[in-house]
Amino acid sequence: MGVSAVRVRGLWKRFGQQVAVAGIDLELPAGKFIGLVGPNGAGKTTTLSMVTGLLRPDQGSVEVVGHDVWRDPVEVKARIGVLPEGLRLFERLSGRELLAYSGRLRGLPGAEVDKRATQLLDVLDLAGAQHKLVVDYSTGMRKKIGLAAALLHNPEVLFLDEPFEGVDPVSAQTIRGVLERYTASGATVVFSSHVMELVESLCDWVAVMAAGRIRAHGPLAEVRGDAPSLQQAFLELVGANGRDAGADLDWLGGGAR
Amino acid sequence: MSTDVTGVVVQLKLSLLRNGLRQSAGRRAAYIASAVCVLLVAVLQLLGLIALRGNAHAASVVVLLVAVLALGWAVMPLFFPGGDETLDPTRLVMLPLRPRLLVRALLAASLVGIGPLFTLCLLVGSVIAVARGGAAYAVGVVAVVLGLLVCVAFARTVAAANVRLLTSRKGRDLAVLSGLVIAVGAQVVNFGAQRLGSSGLSQLDPAADVLRWVPPASAVGAVDSVSDGAYGAAVVQLALTCGALVALIGVWSRHLTRLMTSPDGSTLQAATETAVRRRTSTGLARLLPAGRTGTVMERSLRYVWRDPKTKAAWVTSLAIGLIVPLFNALQGTGSIYFACFAAGMLGVQMYNQFGQDTSAFWMVAMTISSTRDAYVELRARALALLLITLPYATLVTVLTTALLGAWAKLPEVLGLSFALLGAMLATGAWTSARFPYSIPQEGYKNVAPGQSGLAFMAIFGGMVGGSLLCAPVIAATIWLNVSEGGEDWTWLLLPAGAAYGAAITLLGLRLAAPRTAGRLPEILTAVSKG
Repeated sequence: MGVSAVRVRGLWKRFGQQVAVAGIDLELPAGKFIGLVGPNGAGKTTTLSMVTGLLRPDQGSVEVVGHDVWRDPVEVKARIGVLPEGLRLFERLSGRELLAYSGRLRGLPGAEVDKRATQLLDVLDLAGAQHKLVVDYSTGMRKKIGLAAALLHNPEVLFLDEPFEGVDPVSAQTIRGVLERYTASGATVVFSSHVMELVESLCDWVAVMAAGRIRAHGPLAEVRGDAPSLQQAFLELVGANGRDAGADLDWLGGGAR
Repeated sequence: MSTDVTGVVVQLKLSLLRNGLRQSAGRRAAYIASAVCVLLVAVLQLLGLIALRGNAHAASVVVLLVAVLALGWAVMPLFFPGGDETLDPTRLVMLPLRPRLLVRALLAASLVGIGPLFTLCLLVGSVIAVARGGAAYAVGVVAVVLGLLVCVAFARTVAAANVRLLTSRKGRDLAVLSGLVIAVGAQVVNFGAQRLGSSGLSQLDPAADVLRWVPPASAVGAVDSVSDGAYGAAVVQLALTCGALVALIGVWSRHLTRLMTSPDGSTLQAATETAVRRRTSTGLARLLPAGRTGTVMERSLRYVWRDPKTKAAWVTSLAIGLIVPLFNALQGTGSIYFACFAAGMLGVQMYNQFGQDTSAFWMVAMTISSTRDAYVELRARALALLLITLPYATLVTVLTTALLGAWAKLPEVLGLSFALLGAMLATGAWTSARFPYSIPQEGYKNVAPGQSGLAFMAIFGGMVGGSLLCAPVIAATIWLNVSEGGEDWTWLLLPAGAAYGAAITLLGLRLAAPRTAGRLPEILTAVSKG
């Protein structure tokens, strides 16, 4: 397999008193569809931001396809595509203008950018809205145009933070199709999600995160183990399984009283 | 039945006012403070207008005041669409109401509030200022009622005609610009007041001669006509006002009917998408250099036009940069050196470049991997700015010079302007990298909470630094002006200032680039708080 797609060593991040990421060591294999799963507040976004160079870690090192993110940004930034969560796009550009801007900023020739943009807009079903300003896009359309911008320079590794959050089933299927085609060609996708069914159906490799630490990682079947589903395995891993939500609400339902 | 609906809608308006106040103590305090303030102003202007009684130009003053007030009513709903929920008739769309009833009810509801009270005070004051004799007072009563109704109907008609716009994203964009209208308006009013102070109220007469025939100012005009015994003119003026009221209500009622009976098209995306006009590569894009420079310039220039915050900042700078030197020159009190103001005001736009990107800066950060990339990015932003600023500062300087007739001073003032512009670009680039802060995209604030110290440091420190950087050129200007025979050489200040400005800009960019490249995550964090 050669070099791993991402190698993380002793990664820490604190925000004031809060420890968001508490010493992560992780090696993600190349050419896989990788899911980073965990409950809200587990540190997924913080981890992905540090891995992609958008947030400076307090400690630790990150290598993407063998290059250090902080010491060798030229090599890394050309090889990765990012779709962050909670950050804006240049929303006063139209979808097509955004792709043209993003591609040219990355140094691709103009004609090539326009050709790829046309194809991406078609495949992602955005051709009809390509001249509309992104500010007027729906959530699903924003995720799709963000994905197009992240794919435009044909990166080796794609990082997607909650790419399916708030996306309708039709758009989700479109995104899924594009990502599957992309990984089939040998590229790596790393995406975060808290929807286990989705991760289970898409990924062949998962890392489970909770409270700033990695609880388990490896091929999907290995992490799932004997549990009937990833959901079940996940609940056991993060220690949320024993909690019986029904016990205290015995008055709820079952007729008026 | 009709009284019922009117009563209910007026009650609704009162409840909305009351509940709005109940939401928070701060809101209550703000409302009471503004109410007291408005009432105080209303009383003062009422007293002022009564004091104006007997002045030869009283009629001109009140006619103009009423006209300005009506204009205010017309633009209010465009800039403060959220101000009055009963202004949005689509909220009543589910109710089985006839347009005639609805118009009457909404009109009555509109008369409740501080705005109408203020208008009433102003109209009453205006009538007292110009009315002489019983007949005039009788007409005055009619004029006050008509004037108030026209103002309110005007606002309602504008709101109903634009309700789709006002509830859309474009409407919210427009609201951001409202602060700017007030800022520029204040400058114009300030200038107007100064002119009136220096040359007397007779300045107003030509404008008032026209406006006294334009509703609703024509209502007050009628009172003045009756006082002068010109009954024929008064009848025509009152008829004009009545006609305007009927026409406004007619237009309003037609819009209401359409709004209440046609489906809301805002969710029908597919139908409108095909209608969006194609925005392909513009002529401008082809003129810009290729690569990162042209790409960044194009995006920056598009944002000047399309992003409401950026646009508001630019228009403010352009307007103030023009108004201050020109108005001072017009008054004859100005110095030609005021022309440098334009360069200074526009140079401010270089400050907090990355804050203007908001958290979308991550897209830029992902493509900057070396000091060279950061340098090209900053240089492109400076170039985009210069594309507007350089010709504009030159134009303002030439205009100011022409007004003052001081052509001999033109080269040195231009030289100073260019040097100042260079200094602002240099300090702007550096502070953009060193002291970035978030610009909230909603509302009127230009600094995110908790970052005002940072913003102050960036802008104030940058401006002081900018002026200090200009010191050599300023010193040279003074020296050439005071030294014997120096005036023959002041033309040298033009090339020298331009060269100096260009040199420090490049130096500033060179110094800012490594700071930008080395602080990308920190800058992103700082600008993502909006």
